[in-house]
Amino acid sequence: MFHTVRRHLIAGSTCVAALMPLSLWAQEAVFVFGSSEVGIPNYNPLTAVNTNAAFTMIYDTLIEQDGDLSFHPHLAESWEEAPDGKAWVFHLKPGIKFHNGDPLTADTIVQWIDMFRSSENSYMVDNVEKVEAVDETTVRFVMKNPDPNLLYNLSSSFMAIPNPKSVTELGEDYGITEAVGTGPFRLESFTLGQETVLVRNDDYAWASTLAENQGPPHIAKLTFREIPEDSTAFLELKSGGVDALLSLPTDYLGEITAEPALALAKIPGQEVYYMPINVTKEPFTDIRVRQAAALAINQDEILKNVFSSYGQASHNFLISALPESKLDPALNISFDPDKANALLDEAGWVKGADGVREKDGAKLTVALWTQSDSVFRRLTEVVQAELKSVGFDPQIQTFDSSVIRDEYKTGEQQLAVRSYFWNNADIVDWFFGGDRVGYPNISMFNDPKAEELRAKAMTGSATQEERVANFTAYHAYVTSQFPYAPIYQPEQNMAFNKDRLVVPGVIHGNSITGTVVQDISVKE
Amino acid sequence: MLIYLIKRILLLAPVFLAVSAIIFLILHLIPGDPVDNLLKVGSSAAKRAEIEARYGLDRPLVVQYGIWLGNVLQGDLGTSIVTRRPVSQLIGQTLPHSLQLGGLALLLSSVVGVLLGVLAARARDRWPDRLVMGGVLLGSTLPSFWIGLILILVFSVQLGWFPVSGARGWSSLVLPVITIGLGGVALVARVTRVAMIDTAGRDFVLLLHAKGLPPGRILWRHVLRHAMIPVVTILALRIGWILGGAVTVEYVFARPGLGTTLIKALNQHDYPVVQACLLMLAIAVMLGTLLGDIIQALMDPRVREAIT
Repeated sequence: MFHTVRRHLIAGSTCVAALMPLSLWAQEAVFVFGSSEVGIPNYNPLTAVNTNAAFTMIYDTLIEQDGDLSFHPHLAESWEEAPDGKAWVFHLKPGIKFHNGDPLTADTIVQWIDMFRSSENSYMVDNVEKVEAVDETTVRFVMKNPDPNLLYNLSSSFMAIPNPKSVTELGEDYGITEAVGTGPFRLESFTLGQETVLVRNDDYAWASTLAENQGPPHIAKLTFREIPEDSTAFLELKSGGVDALLSLPTDYLGEITAEPALALAKIPGQEVYYMPINVTKEPFTDIRVRQAAALAINQDEILKNVFSSYGQASHNFLISALPESKLDPALNISFDPDKANALLDEAGWVKGADGVREKDGAKLTVALWTQSDSVFRRLTEVVQAELKSVGFDPQIQTFDSSVIRDEYKTGEQQLAVRSYFWNNADIVDWFFGGDRVGYPNISMFNDPKAEELRAKAMTGSATQEERVANFTAYHAYVTSQFPYAPIYQPEQNMAFNKDRLVVPGVIHGNSITGTVVQDISVKE
Repeated sequence: MLIYLIKRILLLAPVFLAVSAIIFLILHLIPGDPVDNLLKVGSSAAKRAEIEARYGLDRPLVVQYGIWLGNVLQGDLGTSIVTRRPVSQLIGQTLPHSLQLGGLALLLSSVVGVLLGVLAARARDRWPDRLVMGGVLLGSTLPSFWIGLILILVFSVQLGWFPVSGARGWSSLVLPVITIGLGGVALVARVTRVAMIDTAGRDFVLLLHAKGLPPGRILWRHVLRHAMIPVVTILALRIGWILGGAVTVEYVFARPGLGTTLIKALNQHDYPVVQACLLMLAIAVMLGTLLGDIIQALMDPRVREAIT
């Protein structure tokens, strides 16, 4: 008891100490959401189909994930997994309070998981049998099946913890007029499609260990604006109307370096550009033709010429930070035009006078789909030229980004250029699972051996090590069948005005989260 | 006049029916299924059927149209599929922003357009006329989202006079209003000029001059009044155009409004919201024309006679 009181006192005094010099100035900052985060209907993580950065400011998660994908304490200061993977125990920090003063205890977690089961993202807790409060600050998750992905799920912004009582009381209005979390900022006002105004939570004393600042955030008032048009957002930053863009489109990277007042903060990339190959469509039913198409892609040239050397070349399906992306180097897919030509010759496709290959009177003409966004159009033209150089005759077909998913469902695609945004190996299951043919399985890949490895990876792993091994095997097998060609991994960048903001050199997170903002301050 | 008014309003009913049917159908004929955005991929068919039933998407098209029209007439625009809030509430929040922007742009078009038109007509074939008409040609052919970005570059980034984007106070209205109003200015100036020149050549103007009225008075009291009849028609038609033109401009300036709502809803296949936005735009055009006809009838007895 005495121990806890003392801890509170220490926490309180650091809190006061941290506040003293800062409260003298009113630190205010204006950030702009990335254009993919525009249009969130409310701040209720239990109904969200999409979240934005402000979720992580209003709410906290049990666990925090760093940019290197390692897990760190947040509301849970420590945790243990049972050796058989059938139970997890989380120890909560004492003294955590919601914005309305309610305490967050083990019982809160129990209630919240209960509510989470009827949310859009309930699959994240599918493997959880039940959650029990052991004592005030200890909570046990009893598992149906071992789920090494539990920590990843608990660190996701979808599993940000709202006050269950407030959610019930406010009903439909929850997340619009009021949102009650434990995060470093409180929701002051939210105007749909316009802006979200947050103010500092002065009681905040339970920051993740990833943040240097363990007290309340430096910034007193934080406004997030929604600007759908990238060029407008950039001009706002350039003219000083806003202090930071959370996600700067690649096209503007060059512009930033030309502006003395602007700077970039690198966030580990989570996106991969790739070319799905429809394995059910002629001529790609022949694995040699698929391999030839994949080997024709010159990743390094694309990195240099299309993306001005920002980011890195991709040689398999996963972002390079994931351990599952470390395949046997022989399996990685890299530019090899000689081999591509040899494979096509072997498959019976002979080069004609015009450079296009033919077989039995049919030309090697293939459809290459892409979406209307400018970066995809530009990239696809380069991919088209590269495929042409080994004897394909790709015909580009452009679809509006809002309808291309439905077009994929027809299964008519042969090749396509697209990207995905995810930082977990289970994305291989998402895009190549045999039960999702069309979309998201654009490659229409349905292979018995892959399905076997997939089942093992998804449900047959008790520990993180096993999961990594199983997913690496699944990923390796899928890659060896060439249902896709890897292209490029961009980096994410936050652009900010360095005359206004002080941003830590290394961003500890997968995006600009509340934990990251803890260490950002405004220059006066 | 009353009979004219009633007849004119009754004429709106078939137009409204036709417009609503088209709006309803366009969305159901384009590819894409909003249910896909709601379902986790790989969800069971039962789950899909349940969601379809909830939004009435499982019924025949004609029935869906009937239900939708009935609700619309009672002011119920449905529930947004994505945000799960009543669409009327959403429209209620965004429409005032669009009306404010559109109204000011219309005002700018009328005042500046008429002034420029009169100026050009008076200086017919001399350099002010050439200048105005040249500017008008440029203004009416440049796409508005492009003008918007150029205005931002010049007035916000270079000169720093106005904020780049957003909807905070009057200063943030200036650039979008100019962007939208510019096309209208061009059109109105052109029509005013032609009508002024045409009217100035009429016999009654000659008579007024013969009676010895001061030329300024003839110009502003008599010629302009006559010349305003086609201008009012054009302006009334612009009401719908201005709201429609605001779609891209709102997007560029990141302002709330029908336009940004419409673009977002289109991307998400949020049928009820798209329908409501399109319906609002169509109603604006219809009411605009109605208003124009009424003002014309008030100004010109011949129009009243022709219909009654």
